[in-house]
Amino acid sequence: MSRKPFFKNPFYILVPIVVISTILLFLLFVTMKLEKSIETKIFEISTSDVFSITHNSATYIESLFKDPTNYVEDIKNNNFIQQKIEANLKTLLTPHIKYAYLLYRDSRGVFRFLSDASTLDEKAALDQKLDVDSPEWLQIYVEKKPLIIRHSLLHQLSISYLVPILNQGNVELILAIDFSIHKIEEINQIIHTIKSGIVGAMCIIFGILIFVIIQTRRFSAVRKSAFIDKLTSVYNRNYLHKYEDFINLDDYIIATLDIDFFKKINDTYGHDIGDQVLKQIASTILLTIRHKDDIVIRYGGEEFLILTKTRRDGYLTALNVIERIFYAIQENKFFISKEESIQVTVSIGVNSVPHKSRTFQEAFKLADIALYNAKTKGRNRIEIYDENENTQSTSMSLNEIKEAIEDHRIQCYYQKIIYSQTQELSHYEALLRIIDKNGNIILPNRILPTIKGTFILRNITKEVLGICYQQLLAHPTVSISVNLNPHDVVDESILSILNAYAAEENIAPRLGLEIIETEDITSREDAKSNLLMLKQLGYTIYIDDFGSGYSNFIYLAEIKTDYIKIDGTIIQKILDDKISFLLVKNIVAFAKEAQIKVIAEYVSDEKIYEMIKSLGIEYAQGVFFSIPSPLIDA
Amino acid sequence: MRVFILLLTLLSFLFAENYTFLVQPYSKEVELEAKIIAEIATASLHVKIKLFIPHMSEMEEKVYSKYFTLSPKCETANFVFVNKNVENEPLCDNANRLFFTNNYRKLLTNDKYFGALFWNKSRPNIVFIQKRLDEKAIALPKTFDQFVENF
Repeated sequence: MSRKPFFKNPFYILVPIVVISTILLFLLFVTMKLEKSIETKIFEISTSDVFSITHNSATYIESLFKDPTNYVEDIKNNNFIQQKIEANLKTLLTPHIKYAYLLYRDSRGVFRFLSDASTLDEKAALDQKLDVDSPEWLQIYVEKKPLIIRHSLLHQLSISYLVPILNQGNVELILAIDFSIHKIEEINQIIHTIKSGIVGAMCIIFGILIFVIIQTRRFSAVRKSAFIDKLTSVYNRNYLHKYEDFINLDDYIIATLDIDFFKKINDTYGHDIGDQVLKQIASTILLTIRHKDDIVIRYGGEEFLILTKTRRDGYLTALNVIERIFYAIQENKFFISKEESIQVTVSIGVNSVPHKSRTFQEAFKLADIALYNAKTKGRNRIEIYDENENTQSTSMSLNEIKEAIEDHRIQCYYQKIIYSQTQELSHYEALLRIIDKNGNIILPNRILPTIKGTFILRNITKEVLGICYQQLLAHPTVSISVNLNPHDVVDESILSILNAYAAEENIAPRLGLEIIETEDITSREDAKSNLLMLKQLGYTIYIDDFGSGYSNFIYLAEIKTDYIKIDGTIIQKILDDKISFLLVKNIVAFAKEAQIKVIAEYVSDEKIYEMIKSLGIEYAQGVFFSIPSPLIDA
Repeated sequence: MRVFILLLTLLSFLFAENYTFLVQPYSKEVELEAKIIAEIATASLHVKIKLFIPHMSEMEEKVYSKYFTLSPKCETANFVFVNKNVENEPLCDNANRLFFTNNYRKLLTNDKYFGALFWNKSRPNIVFIQKRLDEKAIALPKTFDQFVENF
């Protein structure tokens, strides 16, 4: 299969979701890993202004001193300076800056208050000592630069910021502010919110991911059940309709498989056994194919389409799979009860070069032509559509046939049917021909496969009937038989034409209707009644190709046919094949009993002629007597 | 499965004490305070400490009892820690016992107290007054020097 477009495959939705989840996981990891540095960064951003203001305060305090020799004594002895400093420190207090105070260190190394901006109940007295909580405080005397001290043990303070006030190059005073824990809590809250946001987004994405996976699985299951044939467990026709445009014709060979005489199995053993046989055939096919590469589709009642993948060595490996299927079915015993089994054979048509077709339908049609050939050659065989013969044998396209009808290039050739004993002319069989645009005569084997099952076939029949009608008018002593498709017998428009002809004098008795005995014609009650009606109108009824497939003696008696034409392939083998000989002999015996006349077709030489004459066949047709000709010898 | 759930329940009961913080008030500060007071008391008195705390709460009783023998009355105690601000508190004299407070102002204004442990700028601060130590003949180890003030 070729790749489906992105939007048609829900599995591809998973890819962006997985990518987004990975990115979010990475973000979460980075956020957790860098939490400390993010916190520091946010703290720096949010405190930089406060630090600047604190520096300004320190500069202001420094400017208050008149005596540069001893700042401490200056403050202690000057109430005015004390008040000024305290007022200035109070301006630093905010909801986040819990304390602001001015300290000095005495001769014992003890820190003592000089000024404190706290409220009365917390205010420290002048010279009251402060037990500092960390030896880091002493660093400021060495570095003489502002210092940040982080508190890990104090649960009300987060950070202290110390600004040195220098006197003659030495740190004499320290302006300190203490940030409450709320500041860090707020910063942590921001980080926590970011983390929660990412985790929340991940949860949502994860939820969507789970939802998509569940939905995808459900969708796949539903789609699978819609595309699987319940009886045989292989793909059904829906699958073919859905995906035929996506099948890459370069990758496969196409085989159509039809179970030989499946109707007989159904009629003889019942539909349940028929279903069992179908299941076993499908199971045999599934066991034989390569599961990863090949595709099996049941596209009709007993028809399967098999796509086998080609390899680099060409289509031989793929063809080998088809052969294995063919022989596996042939060798398999199909049990119809616990003890009893039957042999089932299949006909297979193979298009080994589907890549030469423009569409899947075209390629499929060629495989179908090959299947048609396999059936006409006696079934139980594999026929490969032969590309080398295609110049001669490729079917005409529907358009070519339609054009031929419109351009009146439909013709009939006529072949004599003679009395076996005297070799005198009995009547003619009209044979379909189309003259193509180059003047070539196209035979039915290049026409019928294309129009099988289409309304064109009905139109062709009408054309042929019209031509024969004209011939009958032109030659009042001549009788002609025409071939009708089983569907023609139930087609109202064709029946009305035949009704009209029958209304005319001396037409119906000279117009024979040759109908191939198929499953369609024998199973339909309306076909049976129409044939009887046509017979009553005066038409002569022929059953064509008798012995080739659905030979049903009871049916012959029911429709009271006038003639049966024994299938040409049987007549051709009558000299060499004992079964064919016995078959013909029995058909003739039955026909005589039933008062049905017998015609042998494909009589190609004298030996066959002598044989059919000795068997008592009254009529004969074949190249030994005459080849089909556009003219009638009146 | 039933046995497993039963075992789990039993284990939960066994370790229930570890989870009582979920229903009890947080006692970390009291724990720290008790430890410091224990250090100070043992450094100040070289006999068995019988501690009395006026208006002691249940949690304080629970925490302090880990470090001290608690005395129900001031008179039978040899170390009194006044950590609540009660006006005109009628306390026994300080003749045979040491008084310690958690209030710096009380320390400054009342000679009964030889020292204080209090929270200054959200930091624990300890102050002993040298004169009162001398009066009580309390000899603190050298490590306490940084807390001693000469008023």
